[in-house]
Amino acid sequence: MKFGFVRVLLLIAALFVAIPVHAEQRNFYKIGVITELSGDLVTGGNITKRGYDLWAQEVNAKGGIEVQGKKYQVKLVYADAQSNPAAGAAAAERLITQEKVDFILGPYSSGVTLAVAPVVDKYKVPMITGSAESPLIWKNKFKYTFGTIPPINFTGATSIKTLTELKPAPKTIAIIGSNDAFSKATAEAYKTAAEKAKLKIVKFSIVPSGQDMTPLLSAVRSMKPDVIAFGGHDEEHVKFVKALKQIGYTPKALLMHCGITDKAFTDAVGKDGEQIFGTTCWTGTAKTKSKVLWPTASAYAAASQKAFKNPGDYTQGGCSAAGIAFQTALQKVGAKPGMDEAMRAKLVQALEQIDVQTFYGRVKFATSGEFYHANVGLDPLTIQIQNGQIKTVGPKASVEAAAQYPMKEWKSR
Amino acid sequence: MMELLPQALTDGILLGGIYITIAIAFSLTYGVMHVIDFAVGEWIMFGAFTGYYLNKWTGLDPFIFLPVIFVIYFGVGYLVQPVIHRVLSGTKGNPFLMGLVFTFGLAIMFRGLALTAFGFYSNSIPSAFSEGSFNLDSIGLTVTIPTVRLMGLAYAVAITLILHYLLKKTNFGLGVRALAQHKDAAGLMGVNAKRTGSYVYGIYVGISAMTGVLLGCILSIGAQMGNEYTIFAFFVVVLAGMGYLAGVPWAALLLGLVQSIFMIYFNPSHTLLAVFVILYIILLISPRGLFGKGV
Repeated sequence: MKFGFVRVLLLIAALFVAIPVHAEQRNFYKIGVITELSGDLVTGGNITKRGYDLWAQEVNAKGGIEVQGKKYQVKLVYADAQSNPAAGAAAAERLITQEKVDFILGPYSSGVTLAVAPVVDKYKVPMITGSAESPLIWKNKFKYTFGTIPPINFTGATSIKTLTELKPAPKTIAIIGSNDAFSKATAEAYKTAAEKAKLKIVKFSIVPSGQDMTPLLSAVRSMKPDVIAFGGHDEEHVKFVKALKQIGYTPKALLMHCGITDKAFTDAVGKDGEQIFGTTCWTGTAKTKSKVLWPTASAYAAASQKAFKNPGDYTQGGCSAAGIAFQTALQKVGAKPGMDEAMRAKLVQALEQIDVQTFYGRVKFATSGEFYHANVGLDPLTIQIQNGQIKTVGPKASVEAAAQYPMKEWKSR
Repeated sequence: MMELLPQALTDGILLGGIYITIAIAFSLTYGVMHVIDFAVGEWIMFGAFTGYYLNKWTGLDPFIFLPVIFVIYFGVGYLVQPVIHRVLSGTKGNPFLMGLVFTFGLAIMFRGLALTAFGFYSNSIPSAFSEGSFNLDSIGLTVTIPTVRLMGLAYAVAITLILHYLLKKTNFGLGVRALAQHKDAAGLMGVNAKRTGSYVYGIYVGISAMTGVLLGCILSIGAQMGNEYTIFAFFVVVLAGMGYLAGVPWAALLLGLVQSIFMIYFNPSHTLLAVFVILYIILLISPRGLFGKGV
């Protein structure tokens, strides 16, 4: 009996071993998506999902991606990274070895991306993250990982520069970052830019993610900084604004980054969101022109509004642009579904060569230096929430509205 | 930097008030049912969303709804407890571990349910109390006390006093204490373990749900918010001594003060590490909590 059971086990094991690990023949692109569909970063994860889904819907509605005269539909296979780098890496392994995906659309967070990137390098499967912004990803020079959103050390300086050009010019700044790869990098990018702009940094602190920051902000209040800059995620932004209001301190300018361009932020904080500055690289009113899928940024925002009752923010847009980048590269090398390792290597070469105008702006991946494989085709923007709308207030060439400064006191709103 | 001390102490006490609200009913339910309910954060989350939607639909201040939310969730807890009781009183396997796994599973299921029902965005519950603050500048202290946090502390004190009264001055409380000491002996003395357990679990879920509304006014709410509060509830209860209700306010205030002072005077990124180290040292010296009276 016991021997029989062992034999059955051996038979099952043999079957697994016998399954050939080679590319599957199919008439559609099977695309793995690893993102945070549960856990602390679930909001961002679902925003990336919207971006990837919208791209896939639009591609399929147009009949698919045309390669050498034939159109192939796309099919997204999701894997939940659970806001946990280890779970993200395991998901990547499963998508590659079991699902045998052609390529991967990457996570929302930098932390998970940093865990997934070595796995895609190991199996030589190309990945584009439409969201992650930490410079650490690009400094590691992962051959198979690309990103459509420029790193925060590329974009962050623009907002600080915009603020220093306001009158009366701010002189002091307090910088706080949440303790995760992206938020820490954001705080550090603001610090470098502030030092360059000769702003006096009265406080620089990294705090544990998700914590109540009121005690720290009480200390910051005593230093009376003109500007407070915060690197964090959506939920932390809501807590941060509420804490500042509760202690009754209004800086001349409050600068935040990821998440505040999403309508949900203004819905959550209401009038307290007014006049908050942000760093981004895309808005739904950006002046972009494209021949691929959506002709302009506003056409994309309208499509998103129709699909999700939300015009989408720069993260969602970055994810749709990641799909477009793959689409362009596939067409360039004539890669059909069920790619082998050699074809995937060619796809990476094609990604390195593409220079395409999209609704998101220009997508052009750096092939050397500290931004290796990050998109360096975009111009960073400084935005401000004005009457519940996102308005570009800098740099000068992109201005949609004059910056409102200094901020109105919390109590007089 | 010493001029910040009064504010650091104030913030620590107010933060401690929040921890009391999270942990006190959690401790009560452990004392009686001897189960660590990993779903505590999710009861808080459900309460927060109930307050959020009631506020959205009626436009009334969420603090008005606290009694309504207590009644609703008392009913929910009362109905859920028999299921947990059944798991805990089983004869197969290790009932204590089965109870742990069961509440852990409940927490995961509730989180998924909330994600589907409420969506993935973070939200906030507006309240008139979120607007103002008290300034003590006039008496020479650079201290600001946000009204909403003061309300939180007042709520924590009120809940503590009510539970104290209930446990020490009523027949129901006598039954609860008897049950906590020895389930079989209490049963022989006429205490209905099942029904008393249901009442206690109902009270715990009701208080946790009200706490959710409060946290939504002070901080933010989201479908995944529960996990963080479960961890803090656990910290406080372990520090107080498992099941020792009277230790909870002191443990909560100690954790709040450690966090606040560390955030201001030391490296804020090591705040949670400091909390862990202090918890570890105290448990090393006194394994049954701060007062040595836990299980």
